[in-house]
Amino acid sequence: MLLSLEQNLAMYHSPLISKNMKYFRHLRGVKNRYRLIKSILIMKLTIIFLAIFNLQALANVYSQQKVSINLKSADFKKVITAIQKQTNYHFVFSERKIPAKNVSINVQNENVTNVLDQLLANTDFTYTEMANNLIVITGKNEVVVNKVVTGKVVDDKGLPLPGVSIKIKGSSAGTVTDINGAFSINVADDAVLVVSFIGYDTQEIAVAGRSSINVTMRSASQNLNEVVVTALGIKKEERRLGYSATTVGGDDFNKVKETNVAASLEGRVSGLQISGTNGGPGSSVRLLLRGVTSQSGSGSPLFVINGVPMDNTQRGASGEWGGADYGDGIANLNPDDIESMTVLKGQSASALYGSRAANGVIMITTKSGKKNTNFGVEYSTNYQMDKVRNDLDYQNLYGQGQHGQKPTDIGSAMNDGSEAWGPRLDGSQVIQFDGKMYPYSAVPNNILSFYNTGHTFTNTVAFTGGGDKGAFRFSLSDLNNAGVVPNSGLDRKSFNLNTTQSVTSKLDVSLVANYIVDNEKNRTGLSDGPGNPNNVLFLSPNEDQKILAPGYGANGVETQFTDDNYVTNPYFAAYKFSSNTSRERLITSASAKYNFTPWLFAQLRLGYDVINDKRIDITPTGTGYNAQGNMSQSNGKITEQNTDILIGAKHDLVKNLLNLDLSVGGNIRKAGDEGTRIYGQNNFIIPYFYSLSNFSGRSADVPYFHSRQTNSAYYTADFAIKDFLVLSTTGRYDAYSTLPANNRGIFTPSVSGSFIFSDLYHINGLDFGKIRLSYAQTSGEPATPYSDAVYYSLANSINGTPAASFNSTLPNLFLKPYTLTEVEAGTEMKFWGNRFGFDLAYFARKTKNEITQASLDISSGYNSYYVASGSTQNRGIEVEVHGTPVKTSDFSWTPAFNFTYVKNKILKTDANDANIGLGTYRPFNANLAFVPGLPGPQVMASDYLRNAAGQIVFDAQGLPQGGPRKPMGSTVPKYYGGFNNDFSYKGFNLSFLIDYRYGNKILSATSYYSTLRGLNKITLPGRETGVVGQGVDATGAPNTINVDAQTYYQKLARQVSAFDVLDGSFIKLRQVSFGYTIPKTLLSATPFSSINVSLVGRNLWTIMKRSDNIDPESGFSPNVAYAGIEGTSIPAVRTYGFSVNFKFKN
Amino acid sequence: MKKRLIYSSLVLGATLFAGCTKDFNKINTDPNQTSSALINPNYFMSQAQIQFANAGYRELLLQSCWIQGLASTEGYYTNGDKYVYGGSPQTYTNMIWNDDYGAGTLVYEMKNLVKGNAAFSNLDNCGTILLVAIQQQTTDAYGDSPYSQAYQAKSGVYTPAFDKTQAIYTNMLSQLATATAALDASKPGPTSDLFYNGNVAQWKKLGYSLMLRIAMRLTKADPATAQKYAEMAYTGGAMSSIADDAVVLSDNADNNSNNSANTFLNNVPDWQGVRWGKTLISYMQTNSDPRISAIAEIAIGNGLAANAAYVPGDNTASKQLGMPNGYDIGGAHDISTAPGYPGATPANPAVTGDGPAEQGLYSRPRFAVYLDRNRASFVATYGETELLFAEAATRGWATGVAATHFANALAADMQEVSQLNSTPQAVVDPTAIATYVAAHPLVPATALQQINMEYYVSHCTTFNFIEAWNNWRRSDFPVLTPVVYPGQFTDGSIPRRVTYPVSIPQTNPAGLAAAIADQGADNFMTRVWWDK
Repeated sequence: MLLSLEQNLAMYHSPLISKNMKYFRHLRGVKNRYRLIKSILIMKLTIIFLAIFNLQALANVYSQQKVSINLKSADFKKVITAIQKQTNYHFVFSERKIPAKNVSINVQNENVTNVLDQLLANTDFTYTEMANNLIVITGKNEVVVNKVVTGKVVDDKGLPLPGVSIKIKGSSAGTVTDINGAFSINVADDAVLVVSFIGYDTQEIAVAGRSSINVTMRSASQNLNEVVVTALGIKKEERRLGYSATTVGGDDFNKVKETNVAASLEGRVSGLQISGTNGGPGSSVRLLLRGVTSQSGSGSPLFVINGVPMDNTQRGASGEWGGADYGDGIANLNPDDIESMTVLKGQSASALYGSRAANGVIMITTKSGKKNTNFGVEYSTNYQMDKVRNDLDYQNLYGQGQHGQKPTDIGSAMNDGSEAWGPRLDGSQVIQFDGKMYPYSAVPNNILSFYNTGHTFTNTVAFTGGGDKGAFRFSLSDLNNAGVVPNSGLDRKSFNLNTTQSVTSKLDVSLVANYIVDNEKNRTGLSDGPGNPNNVLFLSPNEDQKILAPGYGANGVETQFTDDNYVTNPYFAAYKFSSNTSRERLITSASAKYNFTPWLFAQLRLGYDVINDKRIDITPTGTGYNAQGNMSQSNGKITEQNTDILIGAKHDLVKNLLNLDLSVGGNIRKAGDEGTRIYGQNNFIIPYFYSLSNFSGRSADVPYFHSRQTNSAYYTADFAIKDFLVLSTTGRYDAYSTLPANNRGIFTPSVSGSFIFSDLYHINGLDFGKIRLSYAQTSGEPATPYSDAVYYSLANSINGTPAASFNSTLPNLFLKPYTLTEVEAGTEMKFWGNRFGFDLAYFARKTKNEITQASLDISSGYNSYYVASGSTQNRGIEVEVHGTPVKTSDFSWTPAFNFTYVKNKILKTDANDANIGLGTYRPFNANLAFVPGLPGPQVMASDYLRNAAGQIVFDAQGLPQGGPRKPMGSTVPKYYGGFNNDFSYKGFNLSFLIDYRYGNKILSATSYYSTLRGLNKITLPGRETGVVGQGVDATGAPNTINVDAQTYYQKLARQVSAFDVLDGSFIKLRQVSFGYTIPKTLLSATPFSSINVSLVGRNLWTIMKRSDNIDPESGFSPNVAYAGIEGTSIPAVRTYGFSVNFKFKN
Repeated sequence: MKKRLIYSSLVLGATLFAGCTKDFNKINTDPNQTSSALINPNYFMSQAQIQFANAGYRELLLQSCWIQGLASTEGYYTNGDKYVYGGSPQTYTNMIWNDDYGAGTLVYEMKNLVKGNAAFSNLDNCGTILLVAIQQQTTDAYGDSPYSQAYQAKSGVYTPAFDKTQAIYTNMLSQLATATAALDASKPGPTSDLFYNGNVAQWKKLGYSLMLRIAMRLTKADPATAQKYAEMAYTGGAMSSIADDAVVLSDNADNNSNNSANTFLNNVPDWQGVRWGKTLISYMQTNSDPRISAIAEIAIGNGLAANAAYVPGDNTASKQLGMPNGYDIGGAHDISTAPGYPGATPANPAVTGDGPAEQGLYSRPRFAVYLDRNRASFVATYGETELLFAEAATRGWATGVAATHFANALAADMQEVSQLNSTPQAVVDPTAIATYVAAHPLVPATALQQINMEYYVSHCTTFNFIEAWNNWRRSDFPVLTPVVYPGQFTDGSIPRRVTYPVSIPQTNPAGLAAAIADQGADNFMTRVWWDK
């Protein structure tokens, strides 16, 4: 039998070839280029030898071509297939040239020729047996010319290519070229030859009666016919795009897993900036494409899965008052099911999605089965450990106490529970809140011992297969996680089904279904609120966290360690508090596509994403601030339904010169969420029995219900002159239900063009060169429905008297859609057989009439209002550079570097251009805001109060004072990117990703609390002597008042919030994976066709940071309004693990 | 041709698809809320009343201890007890502002909805009276504050100017004069009214009582205006019995439970650590005030467990003892170091893990009275009115006979504690009241002290600490000794003002700057205009 190309490649790693390679490697002193050619030659030779050897083996079985077939009323093709399976014969025939009538046949161990004679008797058909076991079936009157075609295959430099596969189309018969690139094959004169070789484009050549055919192979790297999935799921050749898109393949997030797959994109795509939430497994991420697009909304790009938008609602985040991160929509997806993610950055890319795509679009394609493949099984397993990293750099000299005094009894130990203002640590025995004596000395590794090693174990098994009419892939996956916070974790099961079927030759249907069951145990409290175990981060150096365990006494009552009820014992918070969520989600899309002609189709698609959420929160019996406990249960449902039709036509307007690719369609999107919440009235009747039945009464919030609809119509038209000049335009009309009737609809256009100049002018070394230019507009709607009218709602009655209230957000009766306009210019070039390439983009975008929810003081009557006059500008540069600087037959190095510069500017806020207040942290002495003229969000913080001469002014007691709040910089980075490196050597693969971020600020509650509590190193000067602030008093005379250190620094922390504004820049070693693919030869005795083993690591090393005591990526909320605010959250973790992928033999 | 027809109809379909938006108005209508066409504006009144009256932590964490009506060893009570930051002071200082303006915005909306509608004229005027009561509390706490431009975000005023306290006072008085006079008992009253169940005559009395309270706040800053309006209130007809008291009963079953009761019932440490203040209880003991058994008790049993238990204690009058302010559990300021410390109650050996209760022998608010989730909250009372008339008369103004007013006030105040609960729990024996009134006639030489000390006692015993603190600043009674403790946020004096919400620099920086320029630094020591 002939070896298929794949099999040949598998031989690549056989010992014989390896020896050859070693031989070649010893040729020192020879120029690299020569070494490369030589090595390729040797490889090819080997392949030829192997091919010949196999042909000889084949000759031996030539005489045994007998079959046994028992088929009743089968179509002719089925019989042929059966023969092909049992013998080494290959058949060549055309669809119309075989008997149409069904046949019945029952033969045992019969010669094939006899069977064929029998089958074709009394038909108009006959067969001819040719060399290479080829049988050609033709009409009786046709003459099959048993012709020998010879030829030569050369590469683009004219050098002969040995080992090239020459096959006859429609059969698996064929040959390979010899060492001189020559071949000879017996064919019918109307046959088509398929010429293929790894690294080159496959060509189809009609014999057309010729007896000599010479072929020039084109290197695949020159082709670049990569197809990307663009808006609406339309596949387009990447080379023709007039905008920037980056695709990240599954391997980049399969091997090293994040519980939220979106986090894996960090550092890989220019223009995309990702920040996680320190909220434990499955918590949300904030994705910003090309900066903070607008002053409203989450800033998150739209996620589209298999062409249909999916819900990415953030289920609740913490704010200055605490709370937990309840995850977002994208976190539900199983990375193993994802084939690729394509980031469409520009507006012209996403223009077809209208409002929701203003922040860009991420197209997710899930894995699917391939037609005509055998049943396949793939199993992958991944185990990762998370270890908390200690970023704290607290002082270790002074211990618990106040004003230089140690605790003297239980009460003062409680009073000083979170104060490290005691005297110098001296190792003496000092009483603690539990009444026991402990050494007054620093406890090593104290805080980190509180956290566990997290574990994530993911197992996925996938089944694939396909016939000639359809294909499927079905996978089951289980993710089991234990978080670093004790008693927390995530359990997720995913089922993914992807099927396609051709109903007729013109009608294709497909169904994709993704079912997810996601259970999260104990979403961890973050930020400054009760029930947060991360308060363990603020223990005095001598306070051993161990003595807080188990967190409760014999009676189950919380063991408090401070005199503040609302600072919950971390162990009690972790083990007794409960905040469990469960989610069941079904994401489906069904589509039917009818091809009227090869160039015209109509497609109907229905996408439905339904989410059912349940959340149970329990404040247990014995809690410090709520002794008798309470609980609540919320049930919610989110739906997103998209119905769209699309009609596509692709036709030459002027033959071989001007081609039009046109799609016209419409979409109805219906989205809604609804839910209920029930909570216990007062306290549990029976302590420790946590059920809603255990209350004297239950209360319920009024069930909430939100719905919205958008009706849209759109078109996209690509005009292509030959293949080098493409002009695309799109247009979309949206009507939003969330807007007032008179301002409901808007049309937004886009135009983009790409010019492949390398097709016109040949430049040495340049394989591909493109210039692209685009202009686009998208529109947007308010983040919430019902915001354009005044509403009143009933409140609970009071002793039978009805009561009513209304929303504290002021509605805006004059809302209209906002618009975002973007201009993008870019170029993409590839050189020297794709050994080097780059993509450069410049973009400028601006919004108009943005709808923003801005804070108000309640004295205005409302807490916030909708501003519809906002305008935001982003300008930036994106650079992606990639290449293969070193490539030998068994070693390659493929680096890829990306860099993004985004300059954001808030152009306009409200009518008066007042600052728009955003999030804050608990001391409230600083906040984030959109400040006109500056990049947003700005940290507004107070520096020292200074006089006109710039001197620091101290108050009458010698204490520092805060000046007015001033902008201190944006919390969103200005420069960011990543540097990925892939090395491969034989079966080994090493890759690592470094990413970086510059030019952003952090508002750090850790800084505030550590200063307030005497933990921060800045509180060391003057501890024992008192502090005399360097500055002047109100009269301008030098300040000479000596103040006790605790009083001084606590005032400093409260007043001068500029100390809490840190630099968020960093460089990190983000991801490392080291993999090995076990050679096939070693697997011959196993049931596996391939095994790949990888050691993986994430977030291993912070190469550079400028923020003391914290990880510069810390944050408790994914909302843009809280970007860069951190505090009392789960510390950053390092992740290590391994990943194994098994493919079973068919 | 046929195909073309199909395609063009599909394209047309797609366009219509987008055009068909007739359901959109319905889709974008919140099914759970209603519009001005259907809402009954009366309903905002009840919501505003309970929001304003039900103070909870709003008064417990700061004013209750500043005025030494309560004392606490608990951490976050340090802001009140010791003028030392603890817990989340930024949150506590926001409370009066946010609650009051939150309630005020409901009243403002209600007034707007009925504006110009004669059928609702009484509701409109009652709204004015309620809004003034709310505004006075805000202004008294912070000084300059949004008033003339407040609540007008709907008309585009997003950063209301801070009016000067004096201007606010002048306007409040004229507003009250107009609204009170305009009330017409022949027309329908408010239908959703937690104070008087729609009794317009009683609203009129409340209007004049408030006018009197506002006027009397000006005794230091503007005696002439004070006299003018006190006399106008007297002529107009203020409250005349405790039935006229503006009191709001909470409703636990409907999730409108009393916030102070909730706090003590939820928080064991609050219940263990918060006691009646020494200043209050000592004064009541000195006077043999019969209210003492109605309002105070000592935990029964031994140790922390008994001290934490939610059971009634021992209310024997002679045993009651107030806890001094400025002490902690443990450390240099341990409560055991307080002068006259009565000793701890020893741990109960029968309870595992029990310890001695250091505050165990100090009096706490009576469980049966104050931990009632349906408890009443007080806004203004007849007793208070009589005290203010007594003071006005003492000052020689035409508001009747001081001694009579004072005697009426004493009797009323003692009966008013029974209004704390829907079923009276704090009942003072009428004979004891009569005896006490007879034994405490108003003595001209000490009249101001007697009147204002009673003002202090009555407002503390009815948990209206914010008003007690307001009157202390005005009258300097009771004479308080500030707590001495390291790291205070004042210069060692008792706070005379609440600092503005920390979000104001963000939401209304111009207003804040104007206020600071007018009345001085935004701290706890700057005095408001009338507090000279």
